[in-house]
Amino acid sequence: MKNKIIFSVILFLFAVVLPYIVPVFWVHVLTEILIMGLFAASFNMIFGYMGQLTFGHAAYYGVGAYTTGLLMVKANVPLLVCLPLSMLSAGLCAALLGYFCVKLRGIYFAILTMAFGQLVYYIIFQWYSFTGGDNGLQGIVPPEFLGKTANPYYFFTLIVVTIGMIALWIISESPFGYTMRAIRDNAERTEFIGINVQRYMLLNFIIAAMFAGLAGALWGPFNRSVAPDLTNWQHSGMPVFMTVMGGPFNFLGPLVGSAIYTFLMAMVTSFTEYWPLVSGVIIIFVVLLMPGGFLGLLEDKFPFLLRKGNGAGKTDGQGRQER
Amino acid sequence: MDITSLFTQFLSGLTYGTILFLVAAGLSLIFGVMNILNFAHAALWLMGAYFSYTFWSWMQGYSFAFWLSIPLAGLAAAVVGWVMEVVLIKRIYKRELYEQLLITYCIALIISDTIKLTWGVTNKLIVRPEMIRKPVFIFGAPLDSYFIFVILAGAAVAIGLWWFLKYTRYGHIVKAAVYSREMVAALGIPIPRIDTWVFTLGIFLAGFAGGIQAPIGSITLGMDTAIIIQAFCVVVIGGFGSLLGTLVGSLIVGEVMSFTILFWPEGAMVLIFVITAAILIVRPWGLFGTPMRT
Amino acid sequence: MNDTNATILEITGLSKSFGKYAVLTDVNYNLRKGEIAAIIGPNGAGKTTFFNLITGYHKVDSGTVRFQGRKITNWPRHRIARAGISRAFQVSNIYPRLTTYENVRQAILAQEKRTLDIFTPANGLARESTLELLELTGLLTNRDTVAGILSQGDKKKLELALALAGKPEMLLLDEPTAGMSSEETHETMELVKRLNAQIGLTILFTEHDISVIFGYARKLSVLYQGLLIAEGTPEEVRKNEEAQKCYLGEEV
Repeated sequence: MKNKIIFSVILFLFAVVLPYIVPVFWVHVLTEILIMGLFAASFNMIFGYMGQLTFGHAAYYGVGAYTTGLLMVKANVPLLVCLPLSMLSAGLCAALLGYFCVKLRGIYFAILTMAFGQLVYYIIFQWYSFTGGDNGLQGIVPPEFLGKTANPYYFFTLIVVTIGMIALWIISESPFGYTMRAIRDNAERTEFIGINVQRYMLLNFIIAAMFAGLAGALWGPFNRSVAPDLTNWQHSGMPVFMTVMGGPFNFLGPLVGSAIYTFLMAMVTSFTEYWPLVSGVIIIFVVLLMPGGFLGLLEDKFPFLLRKGNGAGKTDGQGRQER
Repeated sequence: MDITSLFTQFLSGLTYGTILFLVAAGLSLIFGVMNILNFAHAALWLMGAYFSYTFWSWMQGYSFAFWLSIPLAGLAAAVVGWVMEVVLIKRIYKRELYEQLLITYCIALIISDTIKLTWGVTNKLIVRPEMIRKPVFIFGAPLDSYFIFVILAGAAVAIGLWWFLKYTRYGHIVKAAVYSREMVAALGIPIPRIDTWVFTLGIFLAGFAGGIQAPIGSITLGMDTAIIIQAFCVVVIGGFGSLLGTLVGSLIVGEVMSFTILFWPEGAMVLIFVITAAILIVRPWGLFGTPMRT
Repeated sequence: MNDTNATILEITGLSKSFGKYAVLTDVNYNLRKGEIAAIIGPNGAGKTTFFNLITGYHKVDSGTVRFQGRKITNWPRHRIARAGISRAFQVSNIYPRLTTYENVRQAILAQEKRTLDIFTPANGLARESTLELLELTGLLTNRDTVAGILSQGDKKKLELALALAGKPEMLLLDEPTAGMSSEETHETMELVKRLNAQIGLTILFTEHDISVIFGYARKLSVLYQGLLIAEGTPEEVRKNEEAQKCYLGEEV
């Protein structure tokens, strides 16, 4: 446990120092890593901790992005106010859609979340008058106090994402978080100890969506625009990729996965346009050969790093202890 | 809105539904027997379309080029499918849901880019033979004459599959496997071999459907991303592993799309997803699926 | 307010079929508060289904279940659990990936209604009560073992612990000593007996182990092919002809 905190602090300090030693292009990449990392971590609340695969998480990311985009562009609402409002709108959306999703499990849950994700996509796509349709919203600029260069927005993102991750960590280590693990491991038993599983699943779903909305809110000013693509099923696949790459059964897994994935993408796209091909091959290898992701691999080689079974994960094929 | 226009819409919905049926039939079969949702299905469909273009251009000059390229596309895709099953899909049967979805999704990415690498980014156009260049008129409603062939081909495939499932030994095995894989294995029938053949057949259907699609408009990159989701909707609505369900589901989707576009164009896809979601909530195993599949 | 002789469980006309197969037919059953009762019957007689219907695992086809005077038929499972009925399953239904400690703590936190707390670290919570319950059920030494790899007997103990964590008024035990050594069996049943004596916990259990039935049950009912065919003290049932007929070939 202590090792994890040290690891995280080192990571944070590293993140603080990096913009001063790397070229501007990489500062942009780092900002993207942070935003997607938060997105993936929020996904993992449903996937790793609660044990369900959602293939429509980008819907809430996109709702958050559009909320901030619309408020900033059309009503000049300051970014700091937009952030919690984005969380709220994503949460409300999740409350409505999630109500139905939590009645299902397994592959049906996955497909329904995907269908709802597409529903949100098409609504945003077609509602031209309000959302700009497939043109998206342009001209979303970071607030005055952050200036125009890359670094200030990076640090702003770092602070927001760090706070978000700490919040998610607190939630995952709380009784609620452990109840999620219980639902994951044995939803039936959890009913019999007096817990309304569907209600709890819905609450978790909403919380996860809120943090996805927060990540989306950060994306708008970063990218200077938002587009309906942010909510499509391919985008919903991103946090799945990242979480699996980093390690699904580890709190920092999604963030690490985001770093690896985004970094690789930045590198590969600079000399080829066939990133889908490359990423497809890499992920297949990861899934087949590295079931615990990158952090799982580290754990094997350097067990002292991240030990202490707090029961946050599965046993892998060899029956090893997990997190 | 007069009868003729309505009929036109109906026919166009029927055609689109037929194409969806051809794409979704393989998807439903694969899921029914192997419990794997093949995300790569539409990519293979698109690959079939490109294959048929290639075969057609190789055989240009022969009158049968246009027609022969379609089943050849199916065969070519089936080869790709067979390799895919033996090399990758075999490894993921016992794996978790997310691993299976990810792997098929990655295969879709790989195939999409392979298509791009092999055929480039320009749209491909197949020139139709003389006889199907003009529309025919059914009860006064114009119909692209090629569409007649599409509908007939779809009907032929549907009947063929029905006959296969009902009257052949292999068909019975497949039906049994949809019901219970464990039973079939317990009866001493080698499930791995069944899986390979079912998967290959499913991909043949996808490639064949691509071949059918190819002469409609042009062949462009990215067509697969729209179709895959619609195919999923079809299978959800109709029910996994049910041939009748896939047929009904694809007709529903085809006609709903066709008619909704008339008075609420933006809402067509939205409505499809609402219907899909409603089915999942009320009857997750679809109109004709079996409940124990949960 | 219940006095010690009040009826805590009243079941009338309970029936359940799966498809065409009638598992329980018109079963009537009463249990007094503070009773230790057992139900026996050959496999397939409907014992587990009986428990399933009481605890909301399945919906009844017909009949009513009354607990402490309230009609709880077909209530959702979590509501029945909160009403005071806890259950230990025949096949251990625990959290395989959590440690024994975390298993028990989870059930305790649920009972204490602390599971909606998203702010407090769970690690420090309910330490005393968790350790107490672990000690009571003989799991203290195994508390940091991942529950999935516990021995059969220990898993059953964990089952019991999870059921007890709910601070139930009535405890349903489905073959509580299956897979246990005679020492563990004695320990477990003594514990159950003690709880019954000290806090008036009503116990209803099923068993195949005859010595356990005769050693601990004060009321015995025989279920055969979905029908309650005999009821009384264990001695009375032993002499009952119907029961003997059904058990022809089995020891009673």
